[in-house]
Amino acid sequence: MSETSVEETKPAAVIDPKDAPSLWTRIKRSDVWYSFTRSPVAIVAAIIVTIIVLASVFAPLISPQNPFNPAELNLMDGFSAPMEPNQFTGNVYWLGTDDQGRDIFSTILYGSRISLFVGVSAVLLAMVIGIVLGLVAGYRGGWADTIIMRIADVQLTFPSILIALLVFGIVRGLVPPDVRNDVAVWVLIVSIALSDWVQYARTVRGATLVERNKEYVQAARVIGVKPFTIMMRHVLPNVMGPVLVIATIGLALAIIAEATLSFLGVGMPKTTPSLGTLINTGQDFLFSGEWWILFFPAVALLALALSVNLLGDWLRDALNPKLR
Amino acid sequence: MTAFSPRHGRYLAASTLALAVALGATQPVAAETFRWATTSDPNTLDPHAASSAPVLGFLNNVYEGLVRRNQSMAVEPSLAVRWEALGDEGWRFHLREGVTFHNGADFTADDVLFSYERASGETSDVRSWFATVTDVQVVDDYTIDFLTSAPNPIFPGSIANFMIMDRDWSEENGAETPATDEERYTTLNANGTAAFQLVERSPGVRTVLTPFDGWWGDVEHNITEAIYTPIQSDATMLAALIAGDVDFINPVPIQNVERLQNTDGMNVIVGEEARVMMLGFPHEADALTYDGSPNPFTDVRVRQAVYHAINVDAINQTIMRGAVEPVSQLVTPDMRGYSEGLSARLDYDPDAARALLAEAGYADGFTFSLMCPNDRYINDAAVCQAVVGMLAQVGITVDLVTMPVANYWPELRADNFDMYLLGWSPGTFDAEHPIRFLVSTPNEERRLGSWNFGGFSNARVDELLPQVQSEVDEGVRQGMLDEITGIMQDEVAYVPLYSQPILWGVRDGVSVSPRSDNFFILRWVSVE
Repeated sequence: MSETSVEETKPAAVIDPKDAPSLWTRIKRSDVWYSFTRSPVAIVAAIIVTIIVLASVFAPLISPQNPFNPAELNLMDGFSAPMEPNQFTGNVYWLGTDDQGRDIFSTILYGSRISLFVGVSAVLLAMVIGIVLGLVAGYRGGWADTIIMRIADVQLTFPSILIALLVFGIVRGLVPPDVRNDVAVWVLIVSIALSDWVQYARTVRGATLVERNKEYVQAARVIGVKPFTIMMRHVLPNVMGPVLVIATIGLALAIIAEATLSFLGVGMPKTTPSLGTLINTGQDFLFSGEWWILFFPAVALLALALSVNLLGDWLRDALNPKLR
Repeated sequence: MTAFSPRHGRYLAASTLALAVALGATQPVAAETFRWATTSDPNTLDPHAASSAPVLGFLNNVYEGLVRRNQSMAVEPSLAVRWEALGDEGWRFHLREGVTFHNGADFTADDVLFSYERASGETSDVRSWFATVTDVQVVDDYTIDFLTSAPNPIFPGSIANFMIMDRDWSEENGAETPATDEERYTTLNANGTAAFQLVERSPGVRTVLTPFDGWWGDVEHNITEAIYTPIQSDATMLAALIAGDVDFINPVPIQNVERLQNTDGMNVIVGEEARVMMLGFPHEADALTYDGSPNPFTDVRVRQAVYHAINVDAINQTIMRGAVEPVSQLVTPDMRGYSEGLSARLDYDPDAARALLAEAGYADGFTFSLMCPNDRYINDAAVCQAVVGMLAQVGITVDLVTMPVANYWPELRADNFDMYLLGWSPGTFDAEHPIRFLVSTPNEERRLGSWNFGGFSNARVDELLPQVQSEVDEGVRQGMLDEITGIMQDEVAYVPLYSQPILWGVRDGVSVSPRSDNFFILRWVSVE
C-alpha cells in the first residue's frame, strides 16, 4: 500500500459534517438507547439518579436550612422527631433533626452533594491514572508493563478501603491541622482514587494488548505516527467501552467508599457531614430511639448507590455484544 | 479455665460457690473471667507518665501508693501502715513489711525513694504532686520521711495516686525515668504490688489482668481473670454489654441510660463525678495557630464574650439530656474549698457577647481552631460542635478539630490549639488541686501548672497558692481560695461548663463500687 492510496481512501470514510446527524439523533438511533428504553430497571434507576443529582446540585435553593453553617443551627432544635414539633422550640422538621439541631432533609441534600462530588471526582481521577498507566503498560510492554502491573497486583491483594485509609492517614499527617477540615474533600478524593485505579489499568492494558496487534495500529505505526498519538487517538477510543462500564459501577463503589470512610470517622468532619458522617452520628442514637438520624441518610445512600449500580449493570449488558 | 466457655464457667462458679457457702467457707471463691470496656484505652501503663484518669484509674489495679482511697474517697493505709506529721517539716510514713512486687522483689523504703525521684523528675507528668516536697529521706528499710517546705496538712491524701515502682526492675529495663512523649519499657509493661498483675497488653485492643497470689491484702473480689477492651464507639460498647460480651461498661452513653435501665438483666449505676468540664484559652500565645493572626484571647473581653455566648443549659437539655450540672468554678459544690459565694455563672447572653467583641475590636469576628477529644469525656465531640454553633451565632468562626485522646494530649502539650476542651477531676477532692495544676503559672522547677496548657498566669494566685497549701485554719484557707476563685472568674481563666455524672453499666449479678473520681477498682468487683 502506497502512501497516496491511504490519503485517497481517507476522505471517503469521513461523513461531511453538514450531513452528520445531531448528537441527540445519534444517541436515539444507537443500540444503547434502544436497550435503555426496553429496560424498566434502568429507566427507574436513571430517574432516581437524576432526581438525586438535581436535588443535590440545587440544594441551596431547595433546602430550608444550610446545615453546614453552624450559625444557622439551634441546639434546642436537636433530636426533633420527623413531622413532630420540637419539645422546646415547637419547630417542625420533615425528617427530624440530629443532635445539633441540623435538619436531616437539608443535610441529606448537602451530604449527597459531597457524596456525588467525591464519587465522581474520585472515579475521574482513578480513570485518568488507570487509563494512562494501562495504556503505557499494554502498548509499551516490557519493563514498563512489568513494573506497573506488579504494583497493581500487589495493590489488589489489599482491600481498597485499607488503601484508602492508608493514603488518608499519610496525607492527613502531611497537612497542617488548621487546613485539615478544608482539604478533607480532596484527601478523600485522592485516597479513593488511589485505591481504585488498578481496575481501570488492568482493563485498559488487557484491551490495549488486543488492539495493539490489530492492523490499524500496525498501519499507524508503519506510517510513523508517534506512540503517544497512537495510544490516545487510536487505541483509547476502542478500549473506552469497558472503561465506561467500570466507571459507572465504580461510581457506586466510590460513593460507598466515601460513606465508609466518613462513617469510620476519617472522612468528612462532623461539622460538614456527608451521608456517611450522618450515619455515623445516627448510630449513636439507635438504641435511644432517635432512629431518623440514621434511617433517612441510610435510605438516601442506598437509593443513590443502588441506582448507580443498576445503571452500571445495565450499561455492561447493553455494551456486551454477546448478550444482545 | 480456658477449656470452659464463659457460660459453663459461670455454672461451675455458681455451683462451687454454693458448695463453699454450704461448707461455711469464708474466703471468696474463684469465679470466672470478668470483662469490661471503656471508651479510652490508657495511653501508657507508666504510672508517672500521665496524670489522666484513664491511666491512673486503670493502674490503681496494678500499682499501689503509700495510701489509698476507699469507696467514699476517705484516705486509708496501703503500702504505708501509718503516717505522722513531723511537726511543720513534713510527714513520716511507716511502710508495710512483707510486701512483694509482682516479679517477686521485696518492697522497701528504697523503692519509695526511687519512685519519688522518678515521679518528681523533669519528664514526669505528675511532678505537681510533689510541689511542696523539698527532700525525701530513707530512715530505715520500712520508714521514710517526706520533708516539705511548709506545713502541708493534706499531703498524705494528695499522693494517693503516687504509685510505687520497683527500683531494680525499672533500672534493669531502662525505665529509670518516665516519658510522656516516647515509649519506654514501662509504657507496655507493669510491675506493681497491687491485687492484680498484668499478663497481656495490646494497646487499643486488649489488656489482661490476673489476681496476684502474693498480694498482702484481704481478697474481696472473686475474679480469676479480668479482660479489658477499649471500645471507642458508645453504641458498640452498649451493644457489647447487652449482648453479654462484656460485664461492665463505663460510661453508658447518656442517651441510652433510660434504655439500659429498662433492659432486663442490666443495671445503670448513676453517681456524681467530681469532674468539671471547661474550655481553655491560649493566654500566652502571641498568635493563633489557625492562621497566625494576633491572639484575640489575650483580651479579657473576648474571653468574657465566649463565656456569654455559650448556653450551657441548652447543652444540658439536649446533648446531655439533663444529666449534667452547670458549674461556675473548677470544682463542684461537694468539694472541699468550694466558694459558696461565687456559684453564679455568667449569663447566657449573645447580645452582651457581641457587644464585648465589638468593644474589643472584633465586631466582625475572627476565626480560630477548637481542639477536642472525641473519646474521652461524655459526648465530648458533640459538646464541641454545639460550642461551634453558639460561637458562630455571635460572629466567631470556629474550625473544629477532634481526635482520639491518645493524640490529643500531645497536641495540647505542643501548644497546638487556640481553644480546647478539658475535664478535671481533683484527685484530692480539694479546690487547691485544680489551682495547682491548671491555674498556677507553669513552672518546671517548682512543679506547678503542669496542665495549665494555655499558660494562664496571675501573680496574686501564685502568691496565694503556697499559703493555701500550708494554712491549717479552715476559715482563713477558704478566704484565700475564694479570692483565687474570684480572680479566675474575673479574668475568665477558663470557661467552666458543667460537671458530668458517673454512668456505669453492669449486667445483673455483677457488683461494682463506684467512686466519685470514676476510677474502676477491680478488687471491689464480685461476679455471680
